[in-house]
Amino acid sequence: MTAQDHALCSHCLLPIGRRAMRRTVNGEACAFCCYGCCIAYQVKHGKTEEWEAAWLLIRLGVGGFLSMNIMLFSLLLYSDAFSGADAEMLPWIHLLLWLFATPAVIILGGPFLREAWLHGMEGRLTSSALIVLGVGSAYLYSAFATIEGSPHVYFDTATMVLMLFTAGYYLDAAGRARAARDLQPLLAAESEWATVVIGDGEYRRPVREVDAGVLVRVRPGERIPVDGVIMEGESHNDEALITGESRQIAKGVGSHVIAGSINLDGPLLIQSSGVANATRWAQICRSVRDALIRRSPSQRLADNIVGFFVPIILVLGIGASVYWARHLPFDRALLIGLAVLVVACPCAVGLAAPMATSLGIGRLARHGCLVRDPAALEALARIGLIAFDKTGTLTSGQARVVAIDSDGTSADVVLAHAAGLERHSEHGLGRAIAAAAAARGLEPVAIHDVRVVPGRGIRGKSDGRIVAAGSAALMRELGWSLTPNLVDYGRRREASSHSVIYVGWGERAYAVLSLDDTPLPEARSTVEALRRRGVRVTLLTGDLPAAAVRIAAAVGIESGDIEAGLTPEAKRAALGRRRHDHGMVAMVGDGLNDAPVLAGADVGIAVGSATDLAREAAAVVLPSGGLRTLPWVIDVARAVRATILTNLAWAFGYNLIAIGLAMVGVLQPVLAAAVMAGSSIIVVLNSLRLERLPEPAPSAAAESAPAPRSTATSNQKAA
Amino acid sequence: MSAYLIIFFAGFAGSFHCIGMCGGFACALGRDPQGRGATVLRHLLYNTGRLTTYCFLGGLAGALGQLICTPQGTTVPLLSGSLDTGQRILAILAGLLMIAMALQFFGLLPRLHRITSGSGASTFAASLRSLLTAPGHAAPLAFGVFNGFLPCPLVYAFAAQAASTAGALPGFLTMAAFGLGTFPAMLLMGGVGRALAPAWRQRGVWLAGSCILLLGLVTVGRGILPFAVHFAHGWTEPA
Repeated sequence: MTAQDHALCSHCLLPIGRRAMRRTVNGEACAFCCYGCCIAYQVKHGKTEEWEAAWLLIRLGVGGFLSMNIMLFSLLLYSDAFSGADAEMLPWIHLLLWLFATPAVIILGGPFLREAWLHGMEGRLTSSALIVLGVGSAYLYSAFATIEGSPHVYFDTATMVLMLFTAGYYLDAAGRARAARDLQPLLAAESEWATVVIGDGEYRRPVREVDAGVLVRVRPGERIPVDGVIMEGESHNDEALITGESRQIAKGVGSHVIAGSINLDGPLLIQSSGVANATRWAQICRSVRDALIRRSPSQRLADNIVGFFVPIILVLGIGASVYWARHLPFDRALLIGLAVLVVACPCAVGLAAPMATSLGIGRLARHGCLVRDPAALEALARIGLIAFDKTGTLTSGQARVVAIDSDGTSADVVLAHAAGLERHSEHGLGRAIAAAAAARGLEPVAIHDVRVVPGRGIRGKSDGRIVAAGSAALMRELGWSLTPNLVDYGRRREASSHSVIYVGWGERAYAVLSLDDTPLPEARSTVEALRRRGVRVTLLTGDLPAAAVRIAAAVGIESGDIEAGLTPEAKRAALGRRRHDHGMVAMVGDGLNDAPVLAGADVGIAVGSATDLAREAAAVVLPSGGLRTLPWVIDVARAVRATILTNLAWAFGYNLIAIGLAMVGVLQPVLAAAVMAGSSIIVVLNSLRLERLPEPAPSAAAESAPAPRSTATSNQKAA
Repeated sequence: MSAYLIIFFAGFAGSFHCIGMCGGFACALGRDPQGRGATVLRHLLYNTGRLTTYCFLGGLAGALGQLICTPQGTTVPLLSGSLDTGQRILAILAGLLMIAMALQFFGLLPRLHRITSGSGASTFAASLRSLLTAPGHAAPLAFGVFNGFLPCPLVYAFAAQAASTAGALPGFLTMAAFGLGTFPAMLLMGGVGRALAPAWRQRGVWLAGSCILLLGLVTVGRGILPFAVHFAHGWTEPA
């Protein structure tokens, strides 16, 4: 397999299987998954000045003109308009039909013949071979019949089959391209252009050639092509694709903008801050592209079946003709064989899985949820148990002051001192203390000469006294005493997995602050929503049992479903044990230290710090704050799986019944062609129902913002 | 024969109304730099393409009607004999459809228009535009063929009428008469451009609506009234 075997169709963006068609449109090398996409793309993207797109339409138009006239005369023949006195006209009518049919068969059948020939040279039999064989035999038989003066000719069958297949493929491709709308912005990124400002001039440059420091102009409605800082202009941005939050964010001079977000309402001049290929947006695009090219289990199954489908049909078709030739006139037997060949095109089977999968992946990606492997999407639909990591997954990963145990001093005084110090700190715990003081309305004590003691804490001076906040080690370092009470408080808090900070001034420590992570506001509703979907929820954490129980209680996980104090390897083993009872298992982690267990689960889901796509272990990546989308992701996965199953059931069922009908001689070839064209359109329509799935539940932040979703989508199209 | 005349007139009048879509194409097809003869040929080819599609649709609709009315697929007398039950039902349905179309022409059924000429038409039309400027004689012919498939309430009305004739030949003739009726206005459009006053278009709409209404009533009558057999005999037997 070479790289070109792993491409996506230029028109419908579905992965190209083993039957790629290559054409040059507008000087660009394009690859197509089928003839339908090839025509549809050329019609849509061929330049008016250029001859090719029009030439294609002319061929189709003239082919249509000829085959419609043939059909018309044949209809008149069938309705016996030329019977009786007009019977001597028959040979001339047949000759006329032959005259019309020859160019029509050449014009419409050429591409099929070419494809069948190319694949034949590679030793592969494809559906074009079936069409060529069927149409060819109908045409040749009719030509002989005309010469011999036989009463029946089948030029109409030959041309209408070609016409119906061409039209069916075209409609099919049009439907698939519509389905690819969600994917378009993601996959077009690599060929996207940026307007670069150099001096007084503006130039269009491919995004990948835009370096750091370059000025880029972005108009309202356009997608921002690079990460950078706004130098001029004000606007609102929609960063839904990157952060998962669908709301408008006001941006002005100095604000950072992210590549891939949409500039909604004002022109911006941006100084690029990084090479475009390295942006998260570029990573998302690559990730989605890779996912589409990978094959899911059901897709592999379908591909394998299609592989030996065509030879079997060929045998069945010829067999049917040979069998019926002993009981019926030769032309009737030929028609029956032809109907078998025509009706059994496996297009619908080949389309069943990729169509639904790419719709699902596109839909999820639009909300920042990345599926990096279609197999994970299929597994997610069958998940029986989801295990959560604690810190950073169910909790915010940001600390909060939960208790102040003081040794005789008022809590407020302690907090005011601590806050005075921590004002100067960037540490996460420090921010939590400052926030707690602010929440109580305390004025932080003024402290100067503040120094951070790495790994220990922070110290400074106030009114000539030393003030310090930090570990017991820091207190000892300062030579301060810790009363047994204080030490006891600290131990107990540590036992329930709180972080503790001693605070003191002058010559002793006065109190111990306990800090802990808080559960995410959406964690509880997510757990409930998962349970409603019949998914069992457990907590696997490396933290101490006490902390695990407290968080589990807060988010609604039962105590029987907790395992604490696990190393990453032990987590993986714990998950493996659960697989016996629950079938498919998923692990949700923040990706930082959960790599082994994310990789060990049937579906690894990285959340929270998922901004870094380098977490190779996870097959599904949710955006920061994307925990609430998890139940929705499962809904989408289930809908995709259901769609694949109905698609496959329809495609196989239809083929079996239609082949059966054709073999017993009930199905006319023209009808067979019409039914066949309809069959893959039904698969497309069935898959398009996925578009009607509800949107994910909005976050609390998005609810309070004015609903921007509709604007965002329309702008997305414009961009 | 007289029925075909009415259809011809309905096509003629209706083509003024349809100048919005098809007339625009005819204009865009424009004049051939090689002179008047080439221009006429260009427009004739375009209209022939359109006519082919209409005839095909008519023949197909007629054959389908025939299929519905006589499961054995034998010949059906061209409405000169007695009507069977299937044909009566078909005639009533087609007639009602035509009356609905006529009312829509008079602006009394505004919603129908959206259904009959949906958004698909514009995308389809857009993708055909490259054909308009393509050189060669095949281009206008091909364009006409595709143009014939553009969703249009007039075409639907007469396709319904064609189906109710329950025969490939009368169906073909119905749509051929309609298509020929649209020739003069289309050729005119190609030659003179947008010279027609809006008032003429309005008159065209009323005339077309009246013709379709008349045909619809006759068709429904053919399905319901017992004496319609004789009535229809005089009306629709081709010369």
